[in-house]
Amino acid sequence: MLPRFELSQPQTLPEALKALAGGVGQPLAGGTNLFPDLRGGREKGDTFISLSQVGELRYIEHTDNRVTLGSGATISDILRDPQMKIAAPALVAASDIFAGAMVRNAATIGGNVCCGSPSADSVPPLLTLGADVTLASASGERTLPLDEFYLDYKKTVMKPDELLASISWTPPTPGSAHLFYKLSRRKGDAITITGISVLVEAEGGKCKTVRIALGSVAPTIFRAHEAEGMLAGRVLTSELIEEAAQSAAGQCKPISDNRASAEYRLLTAHSLTRRLLRQAWKQAS
Amino acid sequence: MNQVDTSPNAIPNVNLRQVGKNKPRNDSPTKVYGKAIYAGDLIMDDMLFAKVLHSDRACADIKSIDVSVAKTLPGVHSVLTADDLPATNAVMTDMPGQVGGGTKNTKQPILAKERVRFYGEPIALVAAESYELAQRALDLIVVDYEDTEGVYDAFDAQKPDAPIVYGNDNIVAAYKVRKGDIEKGFQEADFVLENTYSSQYQEQAFLEPEAAVAWVDEHDILNIRSSTQVVEHFRAVADALGMPHNKVHLQAPYVGGGFGGKEVMTIEVWLALLAMDAQRPVKLKQTRENSFISHGPRHPFTITHKTGVTKDGKITAAKITLTSDAGAYAKLSPYILLYATVGATGPYRVDNLWIDSTSAATNNLPTCAYRGFGTMQATTACEAQMEELSKLIGLDSLEFRRKNFIQTGDPNATGQIIRSAVWSDQCATKAREALGDKPKSTEHTVYGHGLACYQQSYGRIRWMKDTSESWVGLEMDGTLIVRCAVTDIGAGQMSALAQIAGEVLGVPMEEITVYFGDGHVNPLAGTSTASRALYMTGKATELAAKNVRNNLFECMAEYFDVRPEELDLGDSKVFVQDNPERCMSVKDMAKHCAAQGVHRHSLEIYRAPPSEGLDPETGQGEVFPDFTYGAHAATVAVDTDTGEVTVIKSVGAHDVGQSINRQAVEGQIEGSALMGQGFALSEELILEKGVLKNGSFSEYLIPTSEDVPEIESIILESRSGLGPFGSKGIGEPVFSPVAASIVNAVADAIGTRIHHLPLTPEKVLTAINEEKTKEAAE
Repeated sequence: MLPRFELSQPQTLPEALKALAGGVGQPLAGGTNLFPDLRGGREKGDTFISLSQVGELRYIEHTDNRVTLGSGATISDILRDPQMKIAAPALVAASDIFAGAMVRNAATIGGNVCCGSPSADSVPPLLTLGADVTLASASGERTLPLDEFYLDYKKTVMKPDELLASISWTPPTPGSAHLFYKLSRRKGDAITITGISVLVEAEGGKCKTVRIALGSVAPTIFRAHEAEGMLAGRVLTSELIEEAAQSAAGQCKPISDNRASAEYRLLTAHSLTRRLLRQAWKQAS
Repeated sequence: MNQVDTSPNAIPNVNLRQVGKNKPRNDSPTKVYGKAIYAGDLIMDDMLFAKVLHSDRACADIKSIDVSVAKTLPGVHSVLTADDLPATNAVMTDMPGQVGGGTKNTKQPILAKERVRFYGEPIALVAAESYELAQRALDLIVVDYEDTEGVYDAFDAQKPDAPIVYGNDNIVAAYKVRKGDIEKGFQEADFVLENTYSSQYQEQAFLEPEAAVAWVDEHDILNIRSSTQVVEHFRAVADALGMPHNKVHLQAPYVGGGFGGKEVMTIEVWLALLAMDAQRPVKLKQTRENSFISHGPRHPFTITHKTGVTKDGKITAAKITLTSDAGAYAKLSPYILLYATVGATGPYRVDNLWIDSTSAATNNLPTCAYRGFGTMQATTACEAQMEELSKLIGLDSLEFRRKNFIQTGDPNATGQIIRSAVWSDQCATKAREALGDKPKSTEHTVYGHGLACYQQSYGRIRWMKDTSESWVGLEMDGTLIVRCAVTDIGAGQMSALAQIAGEVLGVPMEEITVYFGDGHVNPLAGTSTASRALYMTGKATELAAKNVRNNLFECMAEYFDVRPEELDLGDSKVFVQDNPERCMSVKDMAKHCAAQGVHRHSLEIYRAPPSEGLDPETGQGEVFPDFTYGAHAATVAVDTDTGEVTVIKSVGAHDVGQSINRQAVEGQIEGSALMGQGFALSEELILEKGVLKNGSFSEYLIPTSEDVPEIESIILESRSGLGPFGSKGIGEPVFSPVAASIVNAVADAIGTRIHHLPLTPEKVLTAINEEKTKEAAE
């Protein structure tokens, strides 16, 4: 059963930040992770600060060369935004197969990023976009790369009085490919076994920018910087891609669970990184 | 479907007005508009809410149970343990309502006393002013366990020093079939192939978890309104409580799915005890998590086939062993094993046959009825073996099957002569044609086609002497009422009776009222299980409606001055066949016949053909009333990087005898396409030393709407069945071949076979990589 809890419903961002500054209560966004975990006894908590009434967190903004997602934007909001297909193709792909329709309507991008789950599907595409996160508290704001946000399994750099306010990035150039692959045991409402995103930007026959992010294969979702370094500035031959994929797989620290074994996660992290790099290179060049 | 009728027993086509037509079911509007009342929806004054303490370990002695604190919690009205129960503390979990012999030892403790034998075994019951209070009371109950050594494998359970869970030797049931001469049969074979196939636990995953409300009324009758497939459980509830049968009233409103999971009693007896103790209405709705441990899932089976075959494709002998894991209590395991034994050779004629089958008790979850009832597991193994045999001798797999299909007049595994049409060939041919060409492989994707056939019984085991009753009556205003206590578990059981009675009496089904699901105000109809509901209750309704029609025609023949057989009923009119101008509305006819004192209603009983059981040494005898035959075919895509399987097309082609409601038949085929897909690819209860590890819908993976492939339903009608208008049972039959067809399609795609289900991406990738390694070595 869902345990009893106190719920406050701030109407504005300052009210929400003030409530958080009080030191009592955790933020509650869409609740699509939190409620099942509370019900199953995997999460504890008796005071929650609901963000659902804070309208100023729910927005999508496209300015000259920057896209900003308010943390309250839902996964469905992302799918409904016509410019997002160009501004973040892999994020749209991930949103499209994110859980099921009902969860997509409730789950927010902020909740998905902040839960720190290794299988959060929006995170690999955001990492390959090179997104920044802006954290707000009653005492001010700070912005840092999403790549520096995660510390360990379900641990982030956020302080208890901080809230994720927004996520922003520079959209990929027209000559880029931005891809996501979710490997799971069924098509809908599935928890990811291996989730890979790749961004490749080609210029003059060479790979100008490359980012690789791997999900569900380590305590946190991570960028394969070493593999990226092997590819940047070069022509992506099959051999080079294979070496990079091996390097990315080498960084994985997967676990075995009901969904798959660690060995399988490793094998597929390797093969899917290779596949996505090949596809992205072909698409971009 | 323009089928050429090849069966000797098919009756000629009849001019049906409603039956077989594409009409919406009568229960659709109330369900679509959300008006249908389910068991858990009922609210009563002074109602209490119940919770059940389930064991969190699989095998332990109970040293003590302390409920003293729980009892003192304000708002808690009843806390029951085994000590508070009648001394017998037992509930019958055998097939309900049977009058024939052969009942098995299937008593199970209502609440665990001194010992728990499986994870989830009920230990205590609480009724309180709210679910939250009841939960708090449960949390205050202290159970002192001492873990003991259990057994968690059906083969280990049969070893001499295994811990005993059931009887003296853990053997819950065993059968054998000895037919012909297998030594001779294997000598005649050009090839002999032996393979072992195994399958997993599957959860029914019905939409509506177990729910019921129980109360004692002003006549001291214990009423239970429950989500059950079987209202005849009132007898078992009464026996468990030591009450006369006529003091327990069990009714079933619309049921949100059963699939066998609500065949054996689930929560009814718990509620009965609480309502009697508290003397207030009590409601219990199991959570999804608790539902996983409140009914028996599908039996895991291990099946070994050794088959002899000639090089031109004739099966000469088969030696088959089947082992199922019954879990901690027998429940229906003996019967399920019998179904699997009869179904072990599928729809094929094998004259030299040797089968040994065993069901063994373990400390795993007690397994029980689930759509397909053992036949499905047997079919999955048999069809895998058929595919492997055809590969071995290099014959097209359908061509190979054709050489061995049972035909009408042939004996099946237990020597029962098949008397209805056997359209295995027609169904398989159409199913495979519907798949079209196999897509060409691409960089990461290979495609496969798969086919599976089956023989699945409908109707209960014949020595249970099954009957069903139904009442049909014509009101003074010409409207019709059907009264029949069939439980409507979502497959259109109620609506079908309207369609049948309407067909016989010429009244549109939409205008007919059916009272169902309550065996104390309606004639008892038996269970909605065993693909028997339409067959048995439909037949009883057809007979009752025909009686009414005969009575009316006798009177109207006099009125029109013709012979009764010259009359017909249709479009709410009675008319002379040769001169339809001479007619009268059903409304006027009702009045006219009433004035003449004509009996305008009839109560009929339909009795299934009985038999007296099997010869224990040879396993020969008549087990079932009849069988349904058909086929399922599937196209799959397999990702060679990840092992992911995507079903692209799924086709069911079945001889249903006669479809009563076409939409309902399509619903059965489409639903089973997904249920079978789940079994083949993703569904599996994971037990570690008997403890369930994935009892939730985020971890136990049934197919979602996004997993639905293109599904095609091909309905063939031989009109040769025992049911109304020559129909056959279809609820289980259309399901039994689905998983096998998908498994065969995967084998076709990757060029190798995986012998243990489900085919998770990981298993498929491992098989692909092993095959690559093997090829590289060669």
